[in-house]
Amino acid sequence: MDADATRSQLAAALVRVAGGDRAALRLVYQDTSAKLFGVCLRILKDRGEAEDVLQEVFLTVWRKAASFDPGRASPITWMVAIARNRAIDRLRASAVSRRMEPIESADAVSDPAPAAVERVEMAQQHQRLSRCLAELEARHASAIRAAFLDGTTYEELAASMSVPLGTMKSWIRRGLLKLRACLEA
Amino acid sequence: MSTDDTIDPASGGNLIAAEYVLGVLGAEERREVERRLAQEPALASEVAFWEERLGGIADAVAPVAPPPHAWSQIEAAIAADARPQAAASLWQSIAFWRSFAIGAATLAAASIAALAYIGLVPGSPPPLMATLAGSSGQPNFVAAVTATGNNLVVVPAALLTNDPRAMELWLILPGPNQRPHSLGLIQPGQPIRLTIPPDLLGQFTPDAALAVSLEPPGGSPTGQPTGPVIASGKLTSL
Repeated sequence: MDADATRSQLAAALVRVAGGDRAALRLVYQDTSAKLFGVCLRILKDRGEAEDVLQEVFLTVWRKAASFDPGRASPITWMVAIARNRAIDRLRASAVSRRMEPIESADAVSDPAPAAVERVEMAQQHQRLSRCLAELEARHASAIRAAFLDGTTYEELAASMSVPLGTMKSWIRRGLLKLRACLEA
Repeated sequence: MSTDDTIDPASGGNLIAAEYVLGVLGAEERREVERRLAQEPALASEVAFWEERLGGIADAVAPVAPPPHAWSQIEAAIAADARPQAAASLWQSIAFWRSFAIGAATLAAASIAALAYIGLVPGSPPPLMATLAGSSGQPNFVAAVTATGNNLVVVPAALLTNDPRAMELWLILPGPNQRPHSLGLIQPGQPIRLTIPPDLLGQFTPDAALAVSLEPPGGSPTGQPTGPVIASGKLTSL
């Protein structure tokens, strides 16, 4: 199935969820739960926590489906944003100091070619993101990818890359400014 | 430039939306951004910009199938959830009829108007109706299929925004892989009678749903909803 058809079907299912249709929520779950569970697991590094958050994510989708705007966001982007926000909140709330992963591990997984069936987004936008990230200084791009994928704070990123906090903030803000200019161009 | 690791602190302020989406903020800063999001549309659209643009980074995450019990827990959580249900349960619930009788004047007026429009006569088959509610559960429209089955009457039940966008009504059929079917544009301030397209005549059944989306003037350019859904509800036999 092509990306556009997947996107419209997912959007249509979300409209039905907004109308209180549980069967439609099940369809949404079947299409997206593996992606969203992967996103939560990457941030939380704990299956139990990730399962809890996945449940919160679908409860949020159930309650807020009516606020999904198909003209503004793609369905999967909207759901990934919910999943990341929930997972990051859980991470911040957890008193357990988290295991630091060396930044190289984020680099190692940041650029695999996604399988065609997983491409539920518009390919063009993603190509542009890749191109714009490639224009950044390598360490700025690495820090941005690692932050997005792992939900790490400035402090944690600075520690894992062994640079002062001010330097890390500067790298990421520089990277974001340049990225915005490139994405808007 | 790479040797200079300082940055104008002022530019940090413009990036709060990006930093929020990226996930580098601490818990308190995140709460602060979320509090502002409710009041600052400009900040909300910045966040939407970054969510859409950075979302592609998540492609790097390999999907992991959740355990089979995850879905049953979600189902149970939803069954226990107090989210107001549109149409079906609303029409059948005693609490609804009570509020119908004592309070919901605009909805009552709309419902009576809808029933008058469809020419309800004793002995005719039970009409199909839907209460279309917004995300807050507030009923925004009442829709009813006329006794002949060829027309749909839509009556606004609540004063809506003065949003300049057009309102388009959609039929959403039950079952997997169904795309919404446009039923035409409706008016926020007045009842309207729509002719049901011939190919959809047999499709108005108690499991189908109706939804209203905001669209550019003249209606959706793509034939599918492109704007936010402001109201939806299931069809039900009265």
